[in-house]
Amino acid sequence: MSGAVKPPRSVRVCNLMVRVAAQLVPAAQRDDWRREWLAEIWHRWQFLFYAGVWDHRQSWALMRNCLGVFPDAIWHFALQDPVQERIRGWARSPWTCLGALAGALAVVALATGGFPAMRQLVSLPVNDRLVFIWLHPTAGGGDKELPADVPAAWAAHSKLLESVAGFHISRQQTVSSRFGSARPLVIATEPVLFQVLGVRPVLGAIPSESGVVLDQSAWKTLCHGNPRLLGCQVVLGKRVYRVAAILPSDFYFLTRHSSVFMVNRWPADRVNIIARVKPGVSIERLDGELVRISEDTVYYFFKGQLRMSFVKQALLTPVYLFAIALGVAGFLCFWAAHIRLRHIFVAFRTVSRRAVARRAAFFSLKVVLASMLTFAAGLEWSRPQSAVLFSSRDPASGPFLLWLYILMAMAVFFWAVADQRARCRVCLRLLCFPVRIGCPGCLLLDWSGTELLCTEGHGVLHVPHLAPSWDEESERWISLDESWKGLFAQTK
Amino acid sequence: MSGSAKLSHTAAMILQTLDNGCNYGFDIMDATGLPSGTVYPALRRMESEGWISSEWEPEKKALAEQRPARKYYRITRAGSEILEASQQRYPLLAKLAGAKARR
Repeated sequence: MSGAVKPPRSVRVCNLMVRVAAQLVPAAQRDDWRREWLAEIWHRWQFLFYAGVWDHRQSWALMRNCLGVFPDAIWHFALQDPVQERIRGWARSPWTCLGALAGALAVVALATGGFPAMRQLVSLPVNDRLVFIWLHPTAGGGDKELPADVPAAWAAHSKLLESVAGFHISRQQTVSSRFGSARPLVIATEPVLFQVLGVRPVLGAIPSESGVVLDQSAWKTLCHGNPRLLGCQVVLGKRVYRVAAILPSDFYFLTRHSSVFMVNRWPADRVNIIARVKPGVSIERLDGELVRISEDTVYYFFKGQLRMSFVKQALLTPVYLFAIALGVAGFLCFWAAHIRLRHIFVAFRTVSRRAVARRAAFFSLKVVLASMLTFAAGLEWSRPQSAVLFSSRDPASGPFLLWLYILMAMAVFFWAVADQRARCRVCLRLLCFPVRIGCPGCLLLDWSGTELLCTEGHGVLHVPHLAPSWDEESERWISLDESWKGLFAQTK
Repeated sequence: MSGSAKLSHTAAMILQTLDNGCNYGFDIMDATGLPSGTVYPALRRMESEGWISSEWEPEKKALAEQRPARKYYRITRAGSEILEASQQRYPLLAKLAGAKARR
């Protein structure tokens, strides 16, 4: 029967896969393993062939089934003692820790398309004259938007402003066209906003009365990026608007999140304000003039209640916030973990300076990489949420981001300190083989401590379960001298 | 029996299929719908736990039929006990494995 029909190409490919994967299987089991797979493949092919159902679909299915030879071979490979020992050693290595952090950073870079928000921070124009203005009432607290008639009064009477526009951000509405639907940022604004921002559409024209202006991302989602569909209708909530213009691909306002600009003469009852000031105007002068205009023309009394921030300053706020969060978290963490400067000086005096420097370098590198990871991830993924959640406040840097950064910075420091303590003081490998010590009956029915061992024989970490009041040291590193080396060499 | 708590639904399905009379790796794949990359490592693990045993069919018989000998798997007594516990944990196990086998 076997000699009657020549095996088809797919069966030969399967056999080849088995032979390749067999190289991973330990030699003692290899022949048995290979025989089993080859026999299964042969029987499957023969059964289907003589049943008259062998076709292309079946040959593909057989090859797909044969892909399992690799996980099966890897399972055998990983079960070998030397391999397991190597995996454990690799997992304990300090380089693995740094590599994992660097890898996570690379994954975030790939997922976000190369840190666009970070690049935005780097590429900020130096002579930026755009200013955000919002209200921080004396009574009632919290940041708020301004009444919608204020920007018109400032535009008419200010001598320090070149142009001014109000806007209101929401994400509540689903925007749909006959080609697609999405929930982008909906920015209700007035036509002059685009003049303030200094942007011109690549297609169409900014509507003077009512219409919708899409950024490139929203244009692709809602109209499949088809330039012929300019003028098509989109539905925002319950109202129908006509798409009037498309903005350039490199344009974004506050965030790179997909945005729809709903242009109206009267965008909302309360608005945030963005304005372009004349060169050389300071925030103090501008505040004085805008407060005076508000009092004289629209009878709002904003003295001491207006908040202003240049766009550049607002966009850099996350960097300042993160730096503050890192500082606070570092201080809290060192305070809570009983790490004092004198400990470091004592370590420098008593232990090899080279070993202390290596530990300090590893800790610093770990903190830097983890901080970069959390900062980048927070900046790239929280900004749209922050802008939406806190649209009525400072749109570029909400308290959400501040809290997120404080929590993340705390996590970074606490993890870095805990990881550092769980490592050998000499070779920086993770300690292992925890052994409980003491008599459980002597100390409140519990063990008195745990000892962890360095696999290289550099020392033992003694961690007491209960620390007496006269001894603040929570754990103690006991170095092992040369006489122990033989024992560890034998056990390796 | 200590392993009963650890037995996943996938492993329980494979055990149930073996108990139903499917003795070869590819047959188990057909009956459970699981890929070979899941079935074979699971079989190895269960064999090392002692829940199943494997054996080559007699070489003479295979030679007489001019075909390579196959390795077949059988559920052990320990495996049967584990399976019973799993059937209580996953009440639809027998029906599920049976239905897939009939498909």
